[in-house]
Amino acid sequence: MARVLFDHVVKRYGEVRALKDFSLEITDKEFLVLVGPSGCGKSTALRLLAGLEPASEGDILIGERRVNDVPAKDRDIAMVFQSYALYPHMTVAGNIAFGLKLRKLPKDEINRRVKQAAETLGVEQLMERKPGQLSGGQRQRIALARAIVREPAVFLLDEPLSNLDAKLRVNTRAEISKLHKRLGTTFVYVTHDQTEAMTMADRIAVMNAGEIHQVGSPQELYDRPKNVFVAGFIGSPAMNFFKARVDSADGAMDLKGNTFTMRVPRDRAPELQSYIGREMLFGVRPENIHDAQFTPTGINAVPLDVGVEVTELMGNEVFLHVEAGETKLLARVDPRTEAQAGKPTQLAVDLERMHLFDPDSEQALATVGAAAAVA
Amino acid sequence: MATAEAPATTANAPTTNTGRLARAVSRGPLHVLIIAVCLAWMIPTLGLFVSSFREGSDIATSGWWTALSSPSTLNLENYRQVLFTQGMARSFLNSLIIAVPATLLTILVAALAAYAFSWIEFRGREALFLLVVALLVVPLQLTLIPVLRMYATVGLTGTFTGMWIAHVAYGLPFAVFLLRNFFIALPKDLLESAFLEGASHFTAFWRIVVPLSVPALAALGIFQFLWVWNDLLIALVYLGGSATVAPMTVTISNLVNSFGGAWQLLTAAAFISVTLPLLIFFALQRYFVEGILAGAVKG
Amino acid sequence: MAPSSKELSAGRPVSGRPDVSASARPGRRLSVAWLYLAPAGLLLGAFLVYPTISTIVLSFTDPLSGQFVGLKNYTYLFTSQQTLTVFRNNLLWLFLFTSATVTLGLLLAVLTNHVRYEAVAKAVIFVPMAVSFTAAAVIWRFMYIYQPATFAQTGVMNALVTALGGDPVAWITNRNVNNFALITSGIWMWTGFALVVVSAGLKGIPSEIIEAARVDGANERQIFWFIILPMLRSVLLVVSVTLIINSLKVFDLVYVMTFGNYDTDVLANRMFKEMFTFGNFGRASAVAVVLLAAILPLALFNLRRFRREQ
Repeated sequence: MARVLFDHVVKRYGEVRALKDFSLEITDKEFLVLVGPSGCGKSTALRLLAGLEPASEGDILIGERRVNDVPAKDRDIAMVFQSYALYPHMTVAGNIAFGLKLRKLPKDEINRRVKQAAETLGVEQLMERKPGQLSGGQRQRIALARAIVREPAVFLLDEPLSNLDAKLRVNTRAEISKLHKRLGTTFVYVTHDQTEAMTMADRIAVMNAGEIHQVGSPQELYDRPKNVFVAGFIGSPAMNFFKARVDSADGAMDLKGNTFTMRVPRDRAPELQSYIGREMLFGVRPENIHDAQFTPTGINAVPLDVGVEVTELMGNEVFLHVEAGETKLLARVDPRTEAQAGKPTQLAVDLERMHLFDPDSEQALATVGAAAAVA
Repeated sequence: MATAEAPATTANAPTTNTGRLARAVSRGPLHVLIIAVCLAWMIPTLGLFVSSFREGSDIATSGWWTALSSPSTLNLENYRQVLFTQGMARSFLNSLIIAVPATLLTILVAALAAYAFSWIEFRGREALFLLVVALLVVPLQLTLIPVLRMYATVGLTGTFTGMWIAHVAYGLPFAVFLLRNFFIALPKDLLESAFLEGASHFTAFWRIVVPLSVPALAALGIFQFLWVWNDLLIALVYLGGSATVAPMTVTISNLVNSFGGAWQLLTAAAFISVTLPLLIFFALQRYFVEGILAGAVKG
Repeated sequence: MAPSSKELSAGRPVSGRPDVSASARPGRRLSVAWLYLAPAGLLLGAFLVYPTISTIVLSFTDPLSGQFVGLKNYTYLFTSQQTLTVFRNNLLWLFLFTSATVTLGLLLAVLTNHVRYEAVAKAVIFVPMAVSFTAAAVIWRFMYIYQPATFAQTGVMNALVTALGGDPVAWITNRNVNNFALITSGIWMWTGFALVVVSAGLKGIPSEIIEAARVDGANERQIFWFIILPMLRSVLLVVSVTLIINSLKVFDLVYVMTFGNYDTDVLANRMFKEMFTFGNFGRASAVAVVLLAAILPLALFNLRRFRREQ
């Protein structure tokens, strides 16, 4: 049980900087998810923490100890690899016990811990089998068992769910969350899937190109993304972005696009004061765009006429791919909608929940419920 | 799946897949050990090389390493002698005459058979191939007498033709094994679409399989060439002792028998015989190694 | 010849091999197949299959009269002191040559894996595989030259021995050491083979497994013993079997270095002698058959392994 600190860590491979000035503090017992697209450096950060590769610059601390020069086996960490990395020539029991045997723990202690780990993950039946005989989901559990049996200070998980099929992924997500609560140990989890991040994390660190864009709780990142990248990365389907000019008319604010004009709700109008006359970048999530006919009560939505290109029936809702002039949007609407592809319809946009971004720097200037909460 | 962002973590990393934090074997002794082993490996051949330039009297009285400090004593006399008076030039030619056609023929015959084993369906295919695999280990010695008798009756002893046929035959098990494994791994769709368009097996063979198999054919060619070039037993038995047709291996072994002490000649002769293989090895190492890895069972 | 409609509709290729669909195959398959197989088949039959049977038959005949004599050749073989020496030598080759070469290859594979000039080192050690056994025999006879103690040594081995303060050894003629001397030259030749194959196997071990072991707490030595070595088992087996087969068939090296004299004779050389020096085809055949018998279990082993992999 320990906290983890990355202090201005840089990792270079020749000329390339995989991590640029990476600083992050992970509190004890926290479930922290590093999320980002391929190549963003999240796995690199994890491997540096594990001690599989040395940092080029900066300090890495586990607990109060600086571990830059400490070999992996002495860092008191356990890791679950993307490919599970089970030892193919050992039985399941052998795989789980390996680390303990190396540390020369007494035999009864080893057996006890192995049995416990196996029970926690529900794999007691598989102890004598070899990894080659197991399914992907089973192998993953063994990999987890192998990690927890060591009772480490920090758990590292490198995209453990990417090799599982969709259904299994959903189940295993919950299992891993339960495991974290049960063990009460720090979890550092790497994934490219924002859904995994949102559902499992206490806090999420969104990364891109070797840098952290934002760290915060899932709700924070959802409500108050600091820039376009985070806004577009978190939330599925992704946020809609569109450009519009800020107009002042009759004491109210309008967003003027090529073919539409939307009136800004009164409580958000002051945020746009400084940008009158400028074309700004706006973000609205699909779940905040409704069918005008079936807008939920209590929502003050602004009407928008659009042409419908595609409708996707999801069962509990309908995805409408629409266009308003050159602006393309995705709306998640009530399943009772009468919208059809090829016919125009009217949507209701909940601008109370819109996000304002600087079109050049892509930084957030105003987000839901807070104005200019950006550094 | 190896992560895309960390280039050095895949198993194909240029340095080592056991990680760059491996410090248990400290670097100093490791390098010393490896370099020492490499030097030890080069010494035998080096000794041969250096001695081939020395006078016979020098060789008999001092170690070859002493010549390194006085390079003026080195000359090409031995080579001249061995090439022109002892018939090594002739032997070199003979080795070439034997090896090249044998190699080409082996590739051709083996490719045809391998194709049949891969892409033509016929009853007993698996059993027949199993027989080929079994033949991989048959020792040559087992066949020498009957074949020699056969040759004697047909008049093939002491002829190049006899050598070609024999080498092809003996090289077939490995060749067919190697090529068949390669052919069978070719994309099925390619051949299926060709057959659908009405291609005959012959067309498929020449226009699809062969062009796609160049690396395997090259590997086989090099392997077979070296095998034939370096062979002694088959030449001794089927070719006999006649100096006019003897390949280099035979000539050298004769030299050893008759001139056991004339090391200046032996070393020069031996070195001539290895120049071509060494050249091929250094130039085409990759293919040679691939041949080894693919077969690894050549008896 | 055509697969039944049941087989076709089952969707699986008839012989279990990846194969083109029946409807896409060219016609007259059987005759076409034999056309492709004929040259190889003829050659293999004439040079390997038929002679093997013929030799086996020959081993039961008397060389001079051509009469069937039952096991006379074999009894002679197994009672002759010379043959027992031959068996001993082959066994020596089998165990010593194989184990030393495999071990050396394995060690070098692991060591070179850690250095940047790995490719060069492997090439240097592999070079001897390109030279003929004949040339290697010359090279090593040269290495083993013996000069009486009062003279300067011209052979590398004796130079080393005398430099370390010992007396020169007659490596080739001294019966206590000559077999080991010959085997050493064999090791020199074949270690490269073992090195290359084991090295390929080593690189086939996923790096994540090594990393997992490292995180689990293994040091380099433990990684080698508990992870790498077990995972290399099949590779080491292949190499060992190949080397064992070669040790049983060794001929050129012995022929050129000693012609089998001084108690270094091996089966293949013995057979050659019986055949050409003594002209006793019956006995020569018997030796050849013994050689075959020794190799048979290995052939079966290979076959089993091959079938399992299919």
